[in-house]
Amino acid sequence: MKGEQMRITRRQFTTGTLTSIAATALGGCNRSEDAGKKTIAVLFDGLYTPFWIASHDAIVSKLKARDFAVTEAISGQDDSKQLSQVKSMIARGVSGIILVHTDSNAVIPAIRAANSANVPVVSFNRAPAESDAFSIAIRADNRKITRATVQRMVDVARQRSGTYKAAILMGHLGDDNAIARRDGFFDVVDQHSNFIKVVARIPTEWNADKAYAGLTNAFNANPDINFLFTSSDFMFPQIIQVLKAKNRYRTVDDPEHIVFGGFDGDQVAYELLRDKYLDADGIQDLEYEAELCVDAIVDMASGKLSQTEGETNPKIIQDPGFVIHQDNLDEKRDRMWGYTMWLAGQGHGELEQ
Amino acid sequence: MNTVRRAIFSEYLVCWLCVAYFVVVIPVVPGWLSVWSLSNVITTMLPLVVVAVGQMIILISAGIDLSLTATIAFASVVGASIMSETGFVPNPWLGVPLAILAMLLVGVMIGGINGLSVATLRMPPFLVTLATGMFFSGAAILYTSNVSATTSIAGLPRVFKLLTRESIPLVPNHLWLTIVVLFGVNILLHRTVFGASLFAVGMNSNTARVSGVHVHRTICLAYVLGGALAATAAVMLTAQQETGDPKLATNKLLDIIGATVIGGTSLFGGKGRITWTVFGVLFLVLIDTSLTMQGLPDEIVMICKGSVILVAAILDALRLRFAVT
Repeated sequence: MKGEQMRITRRQFTTGTLTSIAATALGGCNRSEDAGKKTIAVLFDGLYTPFWIASHDAIVSKLKARDFAVTEAISGQDDSKQLSQVKSMIARGVSGIILVHTDSNAVIPAIRAANSANVPVVSFNRAPAESDAFSIAIRADNRKITRATVQRMVDVARQRSGTYKAAILMGHLGDDNAIARRDGFFDVVDQHSNFIKVVARIPTEWNADKAYAGLTNAFNANPDINFLFTSSDFMFPQIIQVLKAKNRYRTVDDPEHIVFGGFDGDQVAYELLRDKYLDADGIQDLEYEAELCVDAIVDMASGKLSQTEGETNPKIIQDPGFVIHQDNLDEKRDRMWGYTMWLAGQGHGELEQ
Repeated sequence: MNTVRRAIFSEYLVCWLCVAYFVVVIPVVPGWLSVWSLSNVITTMLPLVVVAVGQMIILISAGIDLSLTATIAFASVVGASIMSETGFVPNPWLGVPLAILAMLLVGVMIGGINGLSVATLRMPPFLVTLATGMFFSGAAILYTSNVSATTSIAGLPRVFKLLTRESIPLVPNHLWLTIVVLFGVNILLHRTVFGASLFAVGMNSNTARVSGVHVHRTICLAYVLGGALAATAAVMLTAQQETGDPKLATNKLLDIIGATVIGGTSLFGGKGRITWTVFGVLFLVLIDTSLTMQGLPDEIVMICKGSVILVAAILDALRLRFAVT
């Protein structure tokens, strides 16, 4: 072979070098310890509250404990990006997909794509809209848990006597969970309209800043609000700021105490209950939901559950959850995921009182 | 020095990078050559190509449009509200054409507002399009809350959803629409007075004005065209998601601008080509898809994409410097 034919240009050299570096970098990311294992894709839309972080960690650790390899992606609340991620995972040959979507309608094409490739899908914590696409959804019975939580708040209010002006911080109304929590709240307070009047319905779109602004406005318009429910515990820090600013941050034994309830069961909720600022909190049994989720995806991947709707595999599996309050805190806190997190951190980073 | 200069000025640098990257990742990314993977790359890049070409036209005029994603979102919900089962015109044979027309009008309207503000009021494009982007993002959410019980609009006609399905494997129906759009824009840029005026305005608007070019009209038309192409992308994305979504494409602005810059369109105006933009989009989508398939965390994917865009922007600045000296 002549030397002339062996010569390469600088551009060819640069391109070759760059692509070699890329290949080496990508190759280095292949995890040899996962070789031979079945892979489950865990696709969340974001890890933006303690609940989602704890859920993610619980699901991943349970999958790894069952000897599955896990691959992950975050869509950043972009449904078209999540559709692309689902297709990427199908192409990669995963055995199943655990999905947290943003919009219950926009997720349908992603589930349908997985259905057509025979890759099972479990929707975690949010159910997709009714359609021909099949996935099993694991979620808390939001309405029932909220009803029980608000009923406990009503019982507390009745014991304290007087009339009440109520405010609710609502979630993103494109999210079924937010709608169920809102409806659960009104199921109860509407039955007690003789002494509870709802004066503020605050839309937050699951945005803490909006929650802060909305609650501040509500207190400016109705300084005597004395019954407050938040559809998610992650808004507690903002609520506490507002209550402190209005000099209404009082413990349950104070006559000026606002009857106060929340939903989720995070670490701040535990601290507020322990310090007697919070009356009741609806708990999603996160460990149980994660277990149900992993059970469902493993059973579908192994063929124990079929990938079509039937009596043995309903479209939605509900976590009944429970309510934790001042009277049962010591008894039930071990099942509260926020307490587990608090224990793990031994109270580090506690809410400033 | 000449070799470096040739490499920087090369029209085909990104094309070769795409080919090289595609080949190199074959043994590394499992399933990379599967039909699912290739189909994913194609369907992901088509709407992005259309809207990136719109951004390219505006960049050629030495402007920038930060409202293109808001245009997509607003057009999506307006179109969906017309043609959905519970919409204003539920009959699909009438509703779908009307909805598509309305979506295009939305794009033209927002582009028109931007173009008039930049050209006649001489407002900075960055400020104008940032403001209209914020306005129409909010308007999309408000509009949806008034026409739907949830925050998106479902129940779109089957015939509309077929737009992005694959009638032949690896050939989605909107590939043909994209080809027609690219062909049309190519003619507009290289075979019409408007195209010549656009490049002239982008290179030096004062010289263009002295030479008899209608600078205001050209700039305004560039934004209108950009808006119309964003609306066309909205048609594709809405059909793909089967939903009118007020947050559709919200996070795609960096990809849109990044892809045009990677493709070699100058941020300083007067330079840009459709083929460059197509390869810019392709390169970005290849990186995104391969890294996702590799299971790398989202933050690493973002760092890689950001780095590539940064390198492309530096190359753009170097190109200008070499061209001047």
